[in-house]
Amino acid sequence: MFAFHRRTTYLLLAICLGHVLLISAQVQSKTGLPVLETVTFSAFTRLQQGLGGITDGVRSIWTNYVWLRGAARENAWLKQRNLELEGKVQQAEALASRMKALEDALDLRESVPSGTTAARVIAGDPAPGSLTITIDRGSSDGIETDMAVIASHGLVGRVINRPLPHAAQVQLLIGRNAAAAVVFERSGAGGIAEGGSGDPPLRVELVPNASDIKVGDRVLTSGQDGLFPGGFVVGTVERAERHAGQWTVAVRPSVDFSHIDVVLVILDKPARPVPGKSGKAAKPGS
Amino acid sequence: MKATAVLLTVALSVALQLALARYTVGGRWLFDLVLVGVVFAALNWGPVAGMLAGTAGGLIQDVLSDDIVGTGGLAKTLIGFAAGLLGTQFDVARPAARAGVVAAASVVHRLLILALRGLIEQHWPGVPWTAILWEMALNSLCALFAFLASERLPGAVARGRQNRRAGIRRRDW
Repeated sequence: MFAFHRRTTYLLLAICLGHVLLISAQVQSKTGLPVLETVTFSAFTRLQQGLGGITDGVRSIWTNYVWLRGAARENAWLKQRNLELEGKVQQAEALASRMKALEDALDLRESVPSGTTAARVIAGDPAPGSLTITIDRGSSDGIETDMAVIASHGLVGRVINRPLPHAAQVQLLIGRNAAAAVVFERSGAGGIAEGGSGDPPLRVELVPNASDIKVGDRVLTSGQDGLFPGGFVVGTVERAERHAGQWTVAVRPSVDFSHIDVVLVILDKPARPVPGKSGKAAKPGS
Repeated sequence: MKATAVLLTVALSVALQLALARYTVGGRWLFDLVLVGVVFAALNWGPVAGMLAGTAGGLIQDVLSDDIVGTGGLAKTLIGFAAGLLGTQFDVARPAARAGVVAAASVVHRLLILALRGLIEQHWPGVPWTAILWEMALNSLCALFAFLASERLPGAVARGRQNRRAGIRRRDW
């Protein structure tokens, strides 16, 4: 029934063997960035910048000229929201100046990152379920590996691999290889937030047994991993259960990862290399 | 000619997947247009074309994603070959039947990927059947549109040309 050339069978076996060897090589070595990866990534980011421009243009025409229902109402709401936010900014500025004065008084190093650069998301991840994005800023804009990436609502992830001059790849916090040191805002307890395939997609591990964790607690970056600056919102506790003295904490991320258009890359170089858990993003070269 | 068509199919599906994936990052709307492209190539041009399309498409996906290069390539190579073989042995000429092949391929492909990851990491997570079924449905829908378009587009173009020629002849008369 399944009659086909012997040559086809040999070709199939050769290709499968090639793949197995390729996988084996990576699983064994885990060092350096393959040339193949760099070249393919570079070629496709150029293509994606073009495609991203086209899709953004189409979307912009649709949203700006066709889909104008409720624009006046939204405008009024935005004006009101803007006023509220201006007030909050002033409060934050006042708090920041007090904090600065305290830091000066205590002779502390500044804990707030100095510079950021905005970047547009030009591509998602081609493999479904694997969570990286590509942004249109790279090494020529001062972006380096391991720099933290944030969005308006909180932490997004970090730059992985070696950035190209015009583009960089960002590993999302909810990816199964990602992790960040976090702290629960209310109780001050620490832990490691890890991505995964659950719902919600973040869980916090290594939480001290005696900690007081409640549903609704805000989770912030602690800055102790040397990758992410402290104080950025990661999410909110959605489930917190203690079994046999061990906490199982599930966190709903504050960022809606299904709609990321623009992100901010924090241009401060990570303070120190990360041993252990955060380095779990152990894709070769990442 | 066939190789060019296969390469074009793969390139187009990867480009579309990349362009659309940015709107579904982290969401539950998982789809794999590269897999649809691989099955399309396999059913149109046979097992060897499917196998090569699977290798090319899978490797490009792997290289561009945060994953071990080769897992997607191996899974898609096997899927491409199997789909091509099915296409030569059974009557899957109708778009609906072809979309059915894509549906089966989606499930098998995802299970293959999970099995390969399990083998590599020596860790066996549960099978996310809901996500797999959603992906299967979305892939089949995309495939149905692609196969309908590929079936009807040449005929529509030919009819358009014929109408234009008929119009010119009437004016001459």
